Amino acid sequence: MIGIVDYGMGNLLSVYSAFDYLGANVIICKHPEELSEVGKIVIPGVGAFKDCMELLKKEHFDEALNEQVIKIGKPTIGICLGMQVMAKKSFEGGVYGGLGWFDADVIKLTITDEKKRVPNIGWNEVSHTSNPLFEGVPENTDFYFVHSYFVNCHDSSDVIATYPYDIPVTASILKNNIFATQFHPEKSQDFGLKILDNFISWNP
Amino acid sequence: MDNLKRCKKCLLPETHESIIFDEEGVCNICRQSEFKNEKIDWNKRKEELTELIESHRGKYDYDCIVPFSGGKDSTWTLYYLMKEYKLKPLVVRFDHGFLRHNLNENTIRVLRNLGADFHTFTPNWKIVQKLMLQSFLEKGDFCWHCHTGIFSYPMHVAIKEKVPLIFWGEPSAEYTSYYSYDQAEEVDEKRFNRFVNLGITALDMAVRLGGKIDERDLKPYTYPPLKELRKLNYRSVCLGSYIPWDVKRQSEIIQNELGWKGDLVENVPPGYNYEKIECYMQGVRDYIKYIKRGYTRPTHLASLEIRHGRIEREEAEKLISGYEGKEPQSLAIFLELVGLTKDEFYKIAASHSVSPWRMKLFEVEAGEKLPDFDAWSRDGKMKREDASSQLERWQKSVK
Amino acid sequence: MSKRRLIPKLQLKTSHYNPSKMVLVTTKQFSDFIEIGDAVSQSKIFQDQGADELIFINIDRVNKGIDILAGIIHNVSAEIFMPITVGGGVQTEQDFRTLLSNGADKISINTIAVNNPDIINNASAKYGAQCVVVSIDYKQEADEKCYVYINNGSTKTKLSPIDWAVECEQRGAGELLLCNIDRDGMRYGLDNEICNAIATQVKIPVITSGGCGLAKHFIDGFKQGQADAVASGTFFAMQDQNFMQTRSQIKNSGINIRVYS
Repeated sequence: MIGIVDYGMGNLLSVYSAFDYLGANVIICKHPEELSEVGKIVIPGVGAFKDCMELLKKEHFDEALNEQVIKIGKPTIGICLGMQVMAKKSFEGGVYGGLGWFDADVIKLTITDEKKRVPNIGWNEVSHTSNPLFEGVPENTDFYFVHSYFVNCHDSSDVIATYPYDIPVTASILKNNIFATQFHPEKSQDFGLKILDNFISWNP
Repeated sequence: MDNLKRCKKCLLPETHESIIFDEEGVCNICRQSEFKNEKIDWNKRKEELTELIESHRGKYDYDCIVPFSGGKDSTWTLYYLMKEYKLKPLVVRFDHGFLRHNLNENTIRVLRNLGADFHTFTPNWKIVQKLMLQSFLEKGDFCWHCHTGIFSYPMHVAIKEKVPLIFWGEPSAEYTSYYSYDQAEEVDEKRFNRFVNLGITALDMAVRLGGKIDERDLKPYTYPPLKELRKLNYRSVCLGSYIPWDVKRQSEIIQNELGWKGDLVENVPPGYNYEKIECYMQGVRDYIKYIKRGYTRPTHLASLEIRHGRIEREEAEKLISGYEGKEPQSLAIFLELVGLTKDEFYKIAASHSVSPWRMKLFEVEAGEKLPDFDAWSRDGKMKREDASSQLERWQKSVK
Repeated sequence: MSKRRLIPKLQLKTSHYNPSKMVLVTTKQFSDFIEIGDAVSQSKIFQDQGADELIFINIDRVNKGIDILAGIIHNVSAEIFMPITVGGGVQTEQDFRTLLSNGADKISINTIAVNNPDIINNASAKYGAQCVVVSIDYKQEADEKCYVYINNGSTKTKLSPIDWAVECEQRGAGELLLCNIDRDGMRYGLDNEICNAIATQVKIPVITSGGCGLAKHFIDGFKQGQADAVASGTFFAMQDQNFMQTRSQIKNSGINIRVYS
């Protein structure tokens, strides 16, 4: 059973539909207690870091997530903003604390090339290391990104995929049972679905 | 020749669907062919085939379904699976309405020789006519009913008969690059939508026909829902993903072993009588391709020969310029069956031209009549008033 | 820059033959509707052919309720896994919320943006600029100047599309969708002049549409128009062309576009 965290932010319908399409048993968890009933956890998110953390704390999801993900070790995927909140802190519109699961900060995409735009919205080629979540995904496959801020990891071994946008930008991170993508796999057609499929059968 | 940009190796032109030229001017289909010959571990693929077959053998009323037209590819597929693996198949044929006499004889001969249950389905001709006209008008290709029927109908049979394993013949990577050889090509709804159905499902066709058709009549052309296929645990694959495809060699074998006979096809050079013998509308089909894209069957054959190292470029060019672009005799039959005049035919086909090709219509040359021409049925002609509402809709869209 | 994009523009209208159903139509200069398919069916086809995103616009002049649009998008979202922009009849921020929660990723506004431009600022602040697409329809008049039209192209305004585009960016739009009404569905090419004038003045992505009849027109839209994306409604519906073919022709001309197989 896969549980999608519903804390009031994020396009839940697409994430839910993607897992359902792949044949997984998936439920939407509106309350933190429900996380103890699932085997795997999905943290989606679209919007601002500050709002997300406030909602997670208000709904007491942060405590439940720390329990289920860090203490118990359930396989977890964070998507877009759901990846960013796993960092220690973010500089989006101020300085705000995250869940702290990764030794990383969330900082703005700054670019020198005039032709590039922020937010970066669109398809970008991702290069990745060899790992179980990217199994079957060819090198330089395009994924769909929508973001102005990115996760800057202090421990480079956490980074398993990047894409070039002036500098290499973190596309995906992995540590033990925690996996996350800056791009939207539920919006990246076949290979996005492949990543979700790999997550469904992942045994870290 | 003409001034179309062509592959430096195989001569396929820039108007060939899905073609991309690399820095050396060689096309992606040639590169796929190189990959097929050099980079695939065919021994490993054969092992995978064996594993796939053994996991299904004996568990269902039939070990597999073989969709069958009677042409060289489906005959080879059936022959190979029965001889090499001794499978019990259900042979399923969707009859598009234009099967030729020699082909029917081949079918009887092959099936009596091999011994298999045969299921054939012929859809309602009146519906077929409407679909032919509609898809010719709006997509420049009158074979929509055939493309969709051939790929959907056997899936319905699979569900009904509860036979999950379906073996098709050649992978599309052999001729186009909607798929490449490094992927296992699943013959599924995605592939159906990607290039088989011309971008129109049965549901879309019902909308285009403006409610003038009973939706039940579109069932044979409708791909079954994924949920039903999943319940069946279906595997729908190409034999050519597991064994290297070589049509010339395969055709020789089925001729020698099964008595399968080739046939003359309109405007095809001699020596290729194993190609496209199933349908007596093939000449019109090939000709429309020429009008739209500036190349057709001779180029296709020549490019395959070059890739297999059987002829050189100059000889290929001679083949193409000698045989390509002639108006087929069967055009007269086609016009009667869909209720169009010749002028309308040219206008409609030309409206689907793929840039930068534009056919010069004053250069038309007539092709030869084939020996079985008089046996090709002209029954069920379309009355002009029945064609007119579809024609009017198209005229409105292009004016 | 991210790769350039190819986007089908799916126009919804009540079916003439089946008034209880909304179907997809092609248009010519915003009229001459021809029914060509079902929304979910065509979306799946475009997904399987590797379109980069989808744009849905409800162009019906009577059935403009957001609930109708939301219902269709909800069904589409169950089977479509790529970005979806939705528009047509959006009036309020609540409409944004309704469509976003039914599976839309971006919302397109046209008439309401002109009548109440603060909605651009407000929606952008609330949902993020990436969610807000302003759709600009325009025509060239006898005085050789172009003017923005609203209400499905029936009402002329005094706005110039270039000035309006710049203002939309300033107000917080994340993307612009342009359409030259005279060229819509006519198949003789896009308006690359206005597109270029806008694309070189704004930093947000510009999607051009209206007039593709050949693969070359798409190429011109990128090269001469400097568009980030080209959207097309009619081209794929009535031609022996599909997305993957057009994509390879564009790639052959040297444009950095996603090649999908």
